[in-house]
Amino acid sequence: MRTAVTPTSTIITMADTEVYLEKLSLFGRILRQEGLDITPNETADAVRILLEVGFDDRTVVKTALRTVYAKSRDEQLRFDRIFDSFFLSEDAIRALDKKHTQQELSHAQALEQAQQELRGETESLFYNEAQREAYASLSEEERQRLQNMKDRFMGPDSRNPELYANMIHSVFARSLMEQQMMMEDAALGNPYAIDPEIGLLFRDISQFEDSEIPKAVYYIQDIAKRINGELTQRRKHSGRTSALDFRRTIRRGLETGGSFYRLAYRRRRARRKQLVVLCDVSGSMVQFSEFVLRFIQSLNQASDSSRVFLFSEELREADAFHLQNMDLFRDYVRRSGVYGRGTDLGAALKKLNEEKPPVFSPATMLLIVSDAKTVNMSGAVQELLRARSRAGRVFWLNPIPERKWKYLNSVQTMAELCTMISCSTLQELAAACRRLAFT
Amino acid sequence: MDLETLKQKMDEAHYIYDETLITVLYVALRLNRPLLIEGAAGVGKTEIAKVMAAALDRELVRLQCYEGLDESKSLYEWNYQKQLLSIQVNMGRRDEDELTRSLFSDEYLLERPLLRSIRSPEPVVLLIDEIDKSDEEFEAFLLELLSDMQVSIPEIGTVKATSIPFVVLTSNRARPISDALRRRCAYLYIEYPDMDKELAILRARLPHVDDRLAVQVVSAVQKFRSSEAILKKPSVAETLDWAQALDALGVRELTPEILRGTVGFVLKNNEDIDLIDEILNGECDGAECTGDHEDCGHSHEHHHHHG
Repeated sequence: MRTAVTPTSTIITMADTEVYLEKLSLFGRILRQEGLDITPNETADAVRILLEVGFDDRTVVKTALRTVYAKSRDEQLRFDRIFDSFFLSEDAIRALDKKHTQQELSHAQALEQAQQELRGETESLFYNEAQREAYASLSEEERQRLQNMKDRFMGPDSRNPELYANMIHSVFARSLMEQQMMMEDAALGNPYAIDPEIGLLFRDISQFEDSEIPKAVYYIQDIAKRINGELTQRRKHSGRTSALDFRRTIRRGLETGGSFYRLAYRRRRARRKQLVVLCDVSGSMVQFSEFVLRFIQSLNQASDSSRVFLFSEELREADAFHLQNMDLFRDYVRRSGVYGRGTDLGAALKKLNEEKPPVFSPATMLLIVSDAKTVNMSGAVQELLRARSRAGRVFWLNPIPERKWKYLNSVQTMAELCTMISCSTLQELAAACRRLAFT
Repeated sequence: MDLETLKQKMDEAHYIYDETLITVLYVALRLNRPLLIEGAAGVGKTEIAKVMAAALDRELVRLQCYEGLDESKSLYEWNYQKQLLSIQVNMGRRDEDELTRSLFSDEYLLERPLLRSIRSPEPVVLLIDEIDKSDEEFEAFLLELLSDMQVSIPEIGTVKATSIPFVVLTSNRARPISDALRRRCAYLYIEYPDMDKELAILRARLPHVDDRLAVQVVSAVQKFRSSEAILKKPSVAETLDWAQALDALGVRELTPEILRGTVGFVLKNNEDIDLIDEILNGECDGAECTGDHEDCGHSHEHHHHHG
């Protein structure tokens, strides 16, 4: 949890030059706590520039400090927030104090109410501080819904309190956990939300609206194009730095009367990798799988030596011809008959392992695209181990953000068996594809 | 140079700026820090370097980055062919050691923008354009140059800067720039200009364009930009091109027909062009159309301030 800046600790007016400069080092420390990388050099620069521009104009001071301290759009947004809460005017502090007092009061009331509502339920239920807080922050409707549910089963004419207690507890616990996760997300914040240009790259893919998909696709193509460029460049580069090709240099030299006017270098032969992609296309995964396949299709090197398999409960190999046109991917998946069912990774891997002629060889890289929510976990683990022993490497792209992995047993288990990469945003997905392309 | 003088110089260069921009430029200049400018394509990042060169009365040295840009294209290169010819011509005539030494002298050195900018007797403005297009290796090399203001050329030794250039780096954020490079720079993020600023730019750059038309053009462009559906947002340069083209065609009023016929100046994607009717109609449906939408084709009485 980040340390909150207490506004009452810094009542500074723009006129107090010395105080201002003293407070600058404290300000630097707070910026550091908030994740900005502040070096003593920068603080020295900040002092220098403040002495030059003066302290009269708050906006100029803010801009000057931001130029010195913040080095990206994200850092600028964080800087603005910290600056505004640190260098407050006195009026703003009073207003804020009042607001804080009110907030604390209403929060305490809400907590008290939550405690009362939760207390009467049953002796066996136990709620800790964090859960009570989550309950207090639930919406009125949601609290009412939970209470209604509780009253229905645990009312005065309760038929079997012991039997229903566990069920009610699990319903409550689930709602509270979801609420806690939402609060956690809100606390982490999304500084990019205000900047629509970069927003899409850093937002959870599962939260994309339909209208945003074309833009996301545009980004994917753009990034893939760049990765292609880098790959080509790397090949060119490696050719240039390799040894001189004497035979070709001498032959070329003949054209210019024996002087080696143009030098020729040996080129390294690119080693072909074979990629096997196993794509989960069950309900919630189809959008993510589409994005991954778009990336792979756009990567020159990967696309011509890859095989794509789609699975939910069963497995189908995707037709390379149909994958050429990713705009029709959803239709294709629907027609293939595997769309929208449950997920059975074990069965899919088993079929893949037993395919004749064999799909896997030591030169193969297996790429699993799934959220690891599968039936028959033990079977999936067993088949994944089998596939791992046959294929050269196994990578797993998971659309669930890494901070949530600890709540999911299946993800934890699978992450131990292969290299699992979290790809909850386009930016992460792009980084993962870059990593795969260069592996 | 103080803040007021810088403002005056920018005014002389007819550059439209706001307080934030001018403060950032001033800070970078005073601290001798390279200025890293980020923002979407076409918001005027490159223009800042040009204007700074004009304002500071310095030469502008430009290095356009691209995939595969390396030291030989950005810093220096030996003129291998000339060296070879020299060897053949002078073979047997001169002392061999002296010949070897002479081969690695200034005469055979092809100066590229980076070397030129630090060896220039007068300080210059060095524009390193679209740094995000270059490779990471180049970025690392640039880091050395920017932090020490010197480079090593194996055959000659260390070349120290004779003058410190004002460095402007621009990036479209196609790939993230390394933290190390960021740390050495002052940072500026530019957003698309709002209606008033863009209108002021248009008026300053193209004073001969009819003011009514200018307002219509800018408001249409602003509408395109604010639409989520448009993939490639029109840049300020494209607004200027469009206004100029319409002016050259003798257009005085931007009707929907004229807009459709000339929209290729601002929207460069077929998919985007297909959407213009939707965007314009969407904006003008119902009671919300108050007469501010000049390009919607509805007949309203318009009263514009001609500044």
